[in-house]
Amino acid sequence: MSEKNNQAVEMDKYIEPSNKSENQSPVVFQLSGVTKSWPSEQGFDLTVPKLTIHRGEKVALVGFSGCGKSTLLDLLAMVLRPDNVEEFTFVTLDHKRLNVAEAWRQKNMNKLAQARMRSIGYVLQTGGLLPFLSVYDNIGLSLYGLGQPAQEAVKKLAVKLGIERHLQKYPMQLSVGERQRVAIARAMAHEPSVVIADEPTASLDPINATEVMGIFTQIADEKDVTFIVATHEWERVKELGFRRIKFSLDRDPADGTVRAKATG
Amino acid sequence: MHRLKTIIRLSLYDYVHERLLTICAVMGLAAILAPLLVLFGVKSGIINTMVDRLVKDPRNLEVSPIGSGRYSPEWFSIEGKLPEVAFLIPQTRSIAANMLLSDLENKRSYTLAVDLIPTDKGDPLLEKWGKIPNNNKEVVLSASAARKLNMQIGQIVTGRVGRSLAGKKEQVTIDLKLAAILPIEAFSRDAAFVRLDLLKATENYRDGFSSKLFSWPGKSPPAGTSDYPSFRLYARSIYDVSVLRDRLESQGLEIYTRAEEIEIVHSLDRSFSLIFKIIAIVAVFGYFASMASNILANVNRKKRHLGIAGLIGFSTKNIIWFPIVQAVATSMLGTGLATCLYLISELVINRLFADYISKGEYVCKISINHIMIAFILTVFLSILASGYAAFQVAKIEPSKVIRDI
Repeated sequence: MSEKNNQAVEMDKYIEPSNKSENQSPVVFQLSGVTKSWPSEQGFDLTVPKLTIHRGEKVALVGFSGCGKSTLLDLLAMVLRPDNVEEFTFVTLDHKRLNVAEAWRQKNMNKLAQARMRSIGYVLQTGGLLPFLSVYDNIGLSLYGLGQPAQEAVKKLAVKLGIERHLQKYPMQLSVGERQRVAIARAMAHEPSVVIADEPTASLDPINATEVMGIFTQIADEKDVTFIVATHEWERVKELGFRRIKFSLDRDPADGTVRAKATG
Repeated sequence: MHRLKTIIRLSLYDYVHERLLTICAVMGLAAILAPLLVLFGVKSGIINTMVDRLVKDPRNLEVSPIGSGRYSPEWFSIEGKLPEVAFLIPQTRSIAANMLLSDLENKRSYTLAVDLIPTDKGDPLLEKWGKIPNNNKEVVLSASAARKLNMQIGQIVTGRVGRSLAGKKEQVTIDLKLAAILPIEAFSRDAAFVRLDLLKATENYRDGFSSKLFSWPGKSPPAGTSDYPSFRLYARSIYDVSVLRDRLESQGLEIYTRAEEIEIVHSLDRSFSLIFKIIAIVAVFGYFASMASNILANVNRKKRHLGIAGLIGFSTKNIIWFPIVQAVATSMLGTGLATCLYLISELVINRLFADYISKGEYVCKISINHIMIAFILTVFLSILASGYAAFQVAKIEPSKVIRDI
């Protein structure tokens, strides 16, 4: 609906030149005509006219807070039900095409949860760790759920992220930066095909943020993981080879609803 | 399956992690359950002991007529065959049913008048406390009679029966072997338990008749059978006592039983059970409400974490087990603790009242079955109490809670 809105503010038309050729890698996400609205006093709705994300791609959802980044991330993570969908396909780790739109219609949450557990890792802005589990168990959580051995994968990632000496501690005993590294390890431990991160470094100091983002991207590159990150700091990820998804915002003068559109 | 197993593990880890809350919940359950168990134990212990005493005491089984009547041999054969009757024997006229006993071998011979009481095989009083006389020349004495005569079991006691026939005083004697002595609680008066033949002969002799059996002189007794003025009757169980009483009273007899005492115990049992039920229902409702609110509060506090579990890929049907597992754990530990507390109380209470009860009797006692029932009920209730919390868990949408601070 907002596609035809020519008053939309184009935030950035720039497309990363380092983006991998879209024709060579298989598709992971294929969305078209996806909308989600939050009807409240200050209404907000997000439209994704068309979005294709390929295997191994690094995608940054860039925009200031409230532009709909988290909404899009949750739609992609299949934890948020879209209102309207033309197409929403997710290709799982084992190359199965999952019709997400159909699964939502059928309320087959279990199917979505299963696909999420197997194929997706999610990193939140802060915490997201379970306080009653040790760092080790937090990292191994998806592997436990999948019934896969955890020890080697957990240790390897812990070493890579520099948290191996904290494995027996509880999240409460760690600094915010260390917790974020644990969260990254948890999202990666089961070797998902997609990692989604919502402002993963926003709560860290700049030096730490750059370092953590660097390690995160490096691991994603090594594992050929599709990396989708939401950030308000384009500068931090620009150098790391991300494709940029931009959000345009427009206020409906009639009812004050903010209409956001994600393109790129 | 792995996902469910993992959620159960998470639930238990959280349960251990929140030690303080866990301990409070377990103690909260034990604080309600332990007094209930003690109350139930005391109730069933006391009632069972009282019922046991009633059941084991043959005196409570006795159905005795007041005054004298006329009971034909046919009456005895009909009533004796009733399924509620354990023992029935005719009794001769009480005025004639006595004898003077003395110990002739003892120099300080003391003569004692005793009541003669008929007995035979199946007499519950003698079976419990004494010995049935094997023949017409054996006797069982009550404690007071034996004490006054200063006689031991196996000694010979001489009985004397006198009559005055046409102004002339006559008497016969018979040597009886003391087969057993009843304890004081079995029979309180001076009495001698003998076979019915001896009673009949005694009665006949007093009436001036002879006895072939004992070679006592007199007129030939009239032919045919005669009615008896009384009887000794024992019911098979305490529950049969009131049945027999009602039956005999419907025949126009005046009957004395201990049915009232038995009824008192029964009504005590009913009242105690009712009181226990009221207390139990109030306690269970209170516990149910507090448990449900505890679980719900915990689930609300854990909303974000459960949402994160959903985000990771655990499905709703796995996550709803999170509160249920904890509730079941609380009920198991709580019942365990309550059982320990109960067992300690049981020990203390039974020791406290040890002086008032005999061996094998308890003031406080419950069976393993009752503890198992309490356990199963508690687990069942805890699952029920966690039901609403599980329902709330099912409604958690990860996208709404994962960004909460």
